[in-house]
Amino acid sequence: MAKSLSNIELNLNQFSPIAQSALQHFNLSARQEKVSFEKGVWANETPPAGYIRLRGNAQNPVFLAATQAALGAHIPCLACTSIKTEFGSLYWLSIDEWLIVTSVESRATLQAKLEQSLTGIHSLVADQSGGMTTIKVLGKHAADALSHCTVYDLHALNMGKVVGTSFGKLSVFLCADHDGYRLLFRRSFADYIWRYLERAAEPYGFAIANLS
Amino acid sequence: MFVITCPHCCEAREEEEFHYEGEAFIARPVDPEAESDEAWGDYLFTKKNPKGWHWEMWNHATGCRKILVLKRNTANHIIAGSWTLSDARKEYDNERATA
Ligand SMILES: [Zn+2]
Repeated sequence: MAKSLSNIELNLNQFSPIAQSALQHFNLSARQEKVSFEKGVWANETPPAGYIRLRGNAQNPVFLAATQAALGAHIPCLACTSIKTEFGSLYWLSIDEWLIVTSVESRATLQAKLEQSLTGIHSLVADQSGGMTTIKVLGKHAADALSHCTVYDLHALNMGKVVGTSFGKLSVFLCADHDGYRLLFRRSFADYIWRYLERAAEPYGFAIANLS
Repeated sequence: MFVITCPHCCEAREEEEFHYEGEAFIARPVDPEAESDEAWGDYLFTKKNPKGWHWEMWNHATGCRKILVLKRNTANHIIAGSWTLSDARKEYDNERATA
């Protein structure tokens, strides 16, 4: 008994988890190409990022001041808007909910700053890095391909706008960038969303984009 | 398919983004333990189900995930308006006061 327990201890010491892409089985990085005009739709999963979910009362000036102090930026309080900051992006998700996307390296520091700044204020700060991922879609037919996947009218999606909408039978946050679209969603949706997107994009000419 | 304006997202969206949540403004008994089975069953299961104007709740399920209230005509599917719960309550009370 004692022996097997110490074995478990040993294994735990050796346990060093590494974050793996939710689309790992598609081997995207080996199949990616330089983006060109030859294909109508390009897509790829973006590199791992730090995702922080922030909740609080947008009507409460104390909450707003505290988040501003921690982030060095005002959280977007206008529906369906996002902003770029020096640490990454801030997305409005709901009247009391925001998504902060930053680098894997700066996530912990930023989260600690937020938590400290929001101490005693009714709010929530949660690390969702393990639970979320992003797919970037670009190309001249990106909107055409996405129109097969979502009910949202892509013509209404101006740059920087973020909307929670459908993707097949699932839901995603869809955001327009200067060079295409960004799909932010739960990691467990990744397989379904990738296959769906690939199928929808195929008639327009689809390839996996080298995003770096 | 309905096009529903979400008062939180401030935008008209497809019905597919929403979940129906049933009749709005059914008052929950203040003391459920004290209710008779009939009264409690009535609270849970008896709905107005009118032909005509109906005040109902929807959840913007893929979007902001908040509840909103629609006034919808069940006979011709015309939507008179959509509000947040608190704004709709005022409209609803006004309508009942003037009826
Ligand atoms: Zn909404």
